[in-house]
Amino acid sequence: MGGAVNRLAAWLFAPMPLARVAVLRLLVFAFVVVDVLLLHTSGWYHGYADPVWYEPLVMGRVLHLPAATVLLVETLKWGCVAAAVAAMTGRAPRLLGWAVAVGWTWYQYVAFSYGKVDHDRADFVVALVLLPTVGLAHLSDQRRSEAAGFALRAVQLAAVATYFLSAWAKVRFGGWEWVNSATMVRAVVRRGTPWAQWLLEVPWTLHWFQWVLFTAELTSPVIFLLSERWRRRVVAGWFVFHAMTYAAITIAFWPHLVMMLAFLPLEQYAARLRARREPLGSPRPRVFERLTRS
Amino acid sequence: MAYPVGVETGAGQLGAAAKAWRVAVVLGLTVLFCAGSLVGQDDWWPFSPWRMFSTSQASTGSVISTGIEVQTAGDPGRWVPAPLTPENTGLNRAEIEGRIPQIAADPERLGTLARSHARLRPEAPAWTALRVVRRQIVVVDRRPTGEVRTQVLAEWGAR
Repeated sequence: MGGAVNRLAAWLFAPMPLARVAVLRLLVFAFVVVDVLLLHTSGWYHGYADPVWYEPLVMGRVLHLPAATVLLVETLKWGCVAAAVAAMTGRAPRLLGWAVAVGWTWYQYVAFSYGKVDHDRADFVVALVLLPTVGLAHLSDQRRSEAAGFALRAVQLAAVATYFLSAWAKVRFGGWEWVNSATMVRAVVRRGTPWAQWLLEVPWTLHWFQWVLFTAELTSPVIFLLSERWRRRVVAGWFVFHAMTYAAITIAFWPHLVMMLAFLPLEQYAARLRARREPLGSPRPRVFERLTRS
Repeated sequence: MAYPVGVETGAGQLGAAAKAWRVAVVLGLTVLFCAGSLVGQDDWWPFSPWRMFSTSQASTGSVISTGIEVQTAGDPGRWVPAPLTPENTGLNRAEIEGRIPQIAADPERLGTLARSHARLRPEAPAWTALRVVRRQIVVVDRRPTGEVRTQVLAEWGAR
């Protein structure tokens, strides 16, 4: 028992490079800017909707959050952008990181409290709340820390929980017969792209796809037991799945895709990118040489 | 290991208290997410169940798609389909689809969509009447038959 707890703790706090957290944060905050300005704008439009349509969520009832106004949505939108851009500098990581967390979460709340909750955006809250707990982390800081390891592990856990719990939701709301239902047919009928229409002509494709998806979701936690090489292959497999979904029904779980990057050695990619941009013959910092060798 | 050699380890260890609260946070989040998936509803967000595409659709039946049609002062009496999008009405299709009973009970609610449209699209012709239309696309054995049934659910007109 004590041994298992120790092993679990060692796994949860396995030291990871601070640079990996720094790169992931950069991507997360850059995503917040793109998301708020371009990808998920329904919250902004709710500023123009009549308050009669406002249906507070539990969070809004507890915190007494008001219905949206134009002033509120503009403040949240530009506040998120300003905080995220400032956080991308890496300064004051806790203050700015948590400012982004509050702003982005509130902005999503405004989007979701008018009758429709998007079911793919909850795990990103975990990333926004926990990545700042690492404190200062520089893009070239190759030191490993337990705080970095914990934050990355928590993001990985939340991302994988999304898959597993969505299989759970399918059983709860759709029943075990979900796999044999016409759910994907419905999705393609309602929002299928021109190059997905052939799937309706060959009905077994979508039927079979439901079995594959459900199995993959239910077994997703296995990713934590795999070797590093297979772990990356599974992550690549999920990215292919999400790309196919986007091609077929133009739905992508964007924040979740950013979180899946927590499985990858981001600091090595970043170093390789920087090394490639260095002109030939110029002296390179030793840390880059070490990295490009691996 | 794929990590480069020579990376300093041992730096950045956490103390017992720092570890304890982190473990508590993970346990707390686990309980909330699992409770949300077990008994929670959408309004538990961010701990609501992950129910995207979770409903079972009968392989023979109909797929329902809701839309709006509007009239403008320049062309009274003619219903024209309008995009039910946030850019146009402040709300999207799912947000209207989920509130059909309230709209049917009080069609005056639809007038707020025309007002939001006027604020969002001041240059476009104002909507003088608006109705919610439900289209049922008939599916037999996972295949749309081409048959579409249309039904008007609620109607509002400016006076």
